[in-house]
Amino acid sequence: MADTDEAAIHMPSQDSGMHIDTDLSDETQDFRMLNSISFLTDGSQQTLPKRGEKDFEPNPTLFQADVLSASRQAMHNALSYPRLHHPKTQVIGVFAPNGPAPPRSAQKLDTITEESEPSKPAGTGMGIHADACVYVSNPKGQYFKSIGQADRWNRVWLLPEEALYLLERGSLDIRWPCSEVGCADGDETEDSGIPMSLQAAHAAFMGRSGLTSERFSVYTGLRRLGYTIVRAPGWHDEEESADSSESEPMSLEKPQSASLVGIFNQLLQWLYRPSPTTALGPVAGLGIHRSYDNIYRSLSIIPWYDPTTSSSPPPRATAPYRVVFHIYKPSTAFKKSAPPAPDFRLAVVNARTHTTFPTSSQLGALLESTPLDPPVGEKMSRQLYMRLRHGYRNVILAVVDEGVVSYLRIADSAFGKENIYKEKNTRGNKGPWRPRPKGR
Amino acid sequence: MDIEPTLPIPISYIAGSYFLFSIDAVTYLRREHHICGVLSGTLPQIPQQNVFLGLPLKLMPEEARLLVEKGVACIVDEVKVQKDGMRSLMEEDRKKYLRELESQGQHAMRLQNDRKEQQREKALKKIEEKKAKAKARKSEPLPAADGPSEGSVVDLFANDQGPDQTSRRSSTAAPYGTVMGVTPATSYPPLPYESSAEQRLPLPDVPSSYPLFAHLHSEGYFLSPGLRFGCQYLAYPGDPLRFHSHFLGVSAEWDEEFDLMKIVAGGRLGTGVKKGFLIGGAEKTEDGAGDPSSVRTFSIEWGGM
Repeated sequence: MADTDEAAIHMPSQDSGMHIDTDLSDETQDFRMLNSISFLTDGSQQTLPKRGEKDFEPNPTLFQADVLSASRQAMHNALSYPRLHHPKTQVIGVFAPNGPAPPRSAQKLDTITEESEPSKPAGTGMGIHADACVYVSNPKGQYFKSIGQADRWNRVWLLPEEALYLLERGSLDIRWPCSEVGCADGDETEDSGIPMSLQAAHAAFMGRSGLTSERFSVYTGLRRLGYTIVRAPGWHDEEESADSSESEPMSLEKPQSASLVGIFNQLLQWLYRPSPTTALGPVAGLGIHRSYDNIYRSLSIIPWYDPTTSSSPPPRATAPYRVVFHIYKPSTAFKKSAPPAPDFRLAVVNARTHTTFPTSSQLGALLESTPLDPPVGEKMSRQLYMRLRHGYRNVILAVVDEGVVSYLRIADSAFGKENIYKEKNTRGNKGPWRPRPKGR
Repeated sequence: MDIEPTLPIPISYIAGSYFLFSIDAVTYLRREHHICGVLSGTLPQIPQQNVFLGLPLKLMPEEARLLVEKGVACIVDEVKVQKDGMRSLMEEDRKKYLRELESQGQHAMRLQNDRKEQQREKALKKIEEKKAKAKARKSEPLPAADGPSEGSVVDLFANDQGPDQTSRRSSTAAPYGTVMGVTPATSYPPLPYESSAEQRLPLPDVPSSYPLFAHLHSEGYFLSPGLRFGCQYLAYPGDPLRFHSHFLGVSAEWDEEFDLMKIVAGGRLGTGVKKGFLIGGAEKTEDGAGDPSSVRTFSIEWGGM
């Protein structure tokens, strides 16, 4: 009964049978519920508490005041929990403010052995993303399966969002480099021994190389839920999205292909096709009508948009309506060296600076930048509604309002491709008008 | 228990957003000034969930502005503070800071070891009890059930003692030292708490809905971003920890013309979630600026006749 407020919002959707589970993170939770978890017993009890009951409005009773102060105390305790690193499992990273660089020992070696390349430009030649800014010399732990890039000195380089996320969750101890703390003898990227605080890490990494706080909210939010999330080529505004190359129009089988029956049908259609103008006389024409299909076909005089035909050249997706993240479900096998095709593509929008829904051309360009993903599969071919919902291209918009994130799925549905009048005839066998599933 | 941080509280301005990193500041502002913000960090104790979140606390520009106008807080250019502060850190301060961290780490390690010790004792006690029980059972003349029950007891021992022994071994060996690494939440120390004048930033830019925000806040409401319910602010009658929100607030200019459908949509949504749809704005004064003291608000409910 505690969640009547949120339950009410789902009331109208009861008939559809599609229940959206109440999202606990939608509302501020009572931190007293956290007290039941004993944190220090090494992860033996990792289940989340149930939501607490809330009161309707404040009253001057002592009871309510006590409950409230207990809640606040619980929140205080939970939030002041320290980030500790046991020496056995401690993973140490070092902040490299100038981007990836070879270690000092290697630099020296380079200059001694071959003096032709005294100073390589940062990031290049190492195979490391130029935006990476923290390196970890002892990458231990499961996180590094999907996070970071290794160089040839066995160090793993982290992008700012990866470093900040790991530090926030207490899995990484990032150190200031000697150059930033005024060590006289220090090298650019050597460990100074001074740990970066949460505050310092935010100041250093937020806003670095395109990482806005909105993007970071989305990144951590999805990481916490277990998704694997990596930067997409559209991360930087100036870069051309490489995704568009994937989106070559698939050779879909044209309706009524060159089979004998098809030719016969076309001939029939040509025979019975009424005059294209409707100014004089009825739309369906006065000819002989042998089937309802022909009548319906002649009635469909409104032009419709076919998402499978992509305009060339595809329009350029402009910020913020660009794919900036590729998302993989926890069940998808992810390999850092060869990431598979993402399960979702995501664009991040700041609700404060973009208060209106994107225009058709913005959305169109965004969808065009994603590869064609037609509704194929056993379930899709049976259910019209599923096909429409899935669409031919899809993208996820993450709308962020000051730290609160909403996810919207935008799909390019092809209503024009779904001929309702044919639905009855083609039930059971696959209609010839539907794109044939291509093995992808 | 009620900690009072030194005023003004520094609000960190990083890449266009306003953050608080000190838990004392967060609880103080919540308790005394009804400013909740949005927790946006990961809780290190339970990191794989989104229900309970941790520091830092993200403040809306409206909240930051309100606090600065009240004289409770000031806006600090955190990036500059960190860069300049760390660069000019004295050798002495650095050593002192590292010593402090070390003692903190040692303390944490001691606490954890104590807890482990207690747990081990508990586990040992359990095993002893089980042993005693098993012995008692064995002495009973039950030849048929004897074999399997003994086997299961042995298994239990193996399971219980396995991890226990390894932990004992590792704790006695302890080749890694006795200090926990600590990642502090805030940067003071080693940096100073007070900011110098050139590190401070002017008042935050706020949207035109600020008069409504300030008005509702002055009436004792707790406000949070309203994206989840398609409005600008969710207004709670008390601390959102304990109360549901009552209003979906949307701001409008005094002479602004808007679609009637906006009211219908807002009113229906609000009624659907048992909240009132609230629309309000500041009355225009002669000089054209919206005055927070002259805000008028209207609450709309779907009649459902």
